Amino acid sequence: MNAFLLAASSEFKPQEEFDLPAWVPIHLGPLDMSINKAVVYLWVGAAVTILIGIWIMRFGLSLRPTRRQTTGEAIYELIQGQMVEGSLPSRAIGTWFPYVASLFLFIWILNIVGFIPLPISNDHFHLAGLELPTWGIYAATANLSVTLALALVTFFATHEEGIRHNGFRRYFGSWIPSGLPPFNAKTAILWGLIVFLEYVSQFMRLVSLSVRLFANMLAGHMLILVMIGLIFIIHSAPWRYLGLPGAFAVYFFELVIVVTIQAFVFALLSAIYIGGAIEPEH
Amino acid sequence: MVTVLAATTGNVADLGKAIAFGVGVGLGAVGAGIGIGNIFGSMIQAVARQPELRGELTGIQWLGFALTEAVVFYALLGGLLAYVLV
Repeated sequence: MNAFLLAASSEFKPQEEFDLPAWVPIHLGPLDMSINKAVVYLWVGAAVTILIGIWIMRFGLSLRPTRRQTTGEAIYELIQGQMVEGSLPSRAIGTWFPYVASLFLFIWILNIVGFIPLPISNDHFHLAGLELPTWGIYAATANLSVTLALALVTFFATHEEGIRHNGFRRYFGSWIPSGLPPFNAKTAILWGLIVFLEYVSQFMRLVSLSVRLFANMLAGHMLILVMIGLIFIIHSAPWRYLGLPGAFAVYFFELVIVVTIQAFVFALLSAIYIGGAIEPEH
Repeated sequence: MVTVLAATTGNVADLGKAIAFGVGVGLGAVGAGIGIGNIFGSMIQAVARQPELRGELTGIQWLGFALTEAVVFYALLGGLLAYVLV
């Protein structure tokens, strides 16, 4: 029994992966624009997204498709067929397809980059006189600020499109559900409650959209780290490697399924919200 | 085992918070597990009855999966917040 008792909670701290000390401090008045690990990961994700877009689309299309063109067409078809067509009205597809597509690709690549070990981290080790960063995994999308910023873009786009296509009064009027009893002194409380709930639910969308992606990536990384970290927590020989198969299983589950689904759902829900604002149900 | 428990002298409040956190997330996972099982079960049934609808249903299935799965993470996040703040 004693062999299992943990002694080493002081030397193993999985939460350190998510520490973000400033590497290049930049302070603009009250704004903290410092460059840290998450910012660098965002740059990497953005660069890879741009390069993939150029690689797929900028070499011309031919009638006998190469593998590159087939990949591009598969991605296009996934976004067009599964996300955009069913949720956006046809007159808005031209405007909002690029947004949904880049949202999907950007989040997808940020998530994938988050599971590839990269030499971007806060810790350093010495090799032949050189100070090199240790290799580690970290996802920019496992940071609430990143996902909240992405969700805010969708949030503002939704209401801007709703007001632009329906006018201010009709759009906010469309939030009041149909089928309510006529408004008078008796039903005023009911009306107030329902309208309040509808308005709150608009803000809950913002929370659920950002927290879903953030918590998924955070939990995935934590799970892998804790399972590997059993090596440092348990000190007797065979048992300390008990978590490794689980860690590998979770790693591949995340990399194959979760990474794609979360990007897919984020983009699909953005399309549904924007489409729903352009053409309200009543 | 009994002696180990009786000999606990550390921070009992932290112990309680850790147990509460674990139980809370576990209960959240129960609900999501049932929901995800329902979604995939219905998907199998639907495709068995009308295989030609598979393409259309797949998108809806993953959407439902992600919406249901997120419930665990709301529990996780609430638990973490309570663990850190209380």
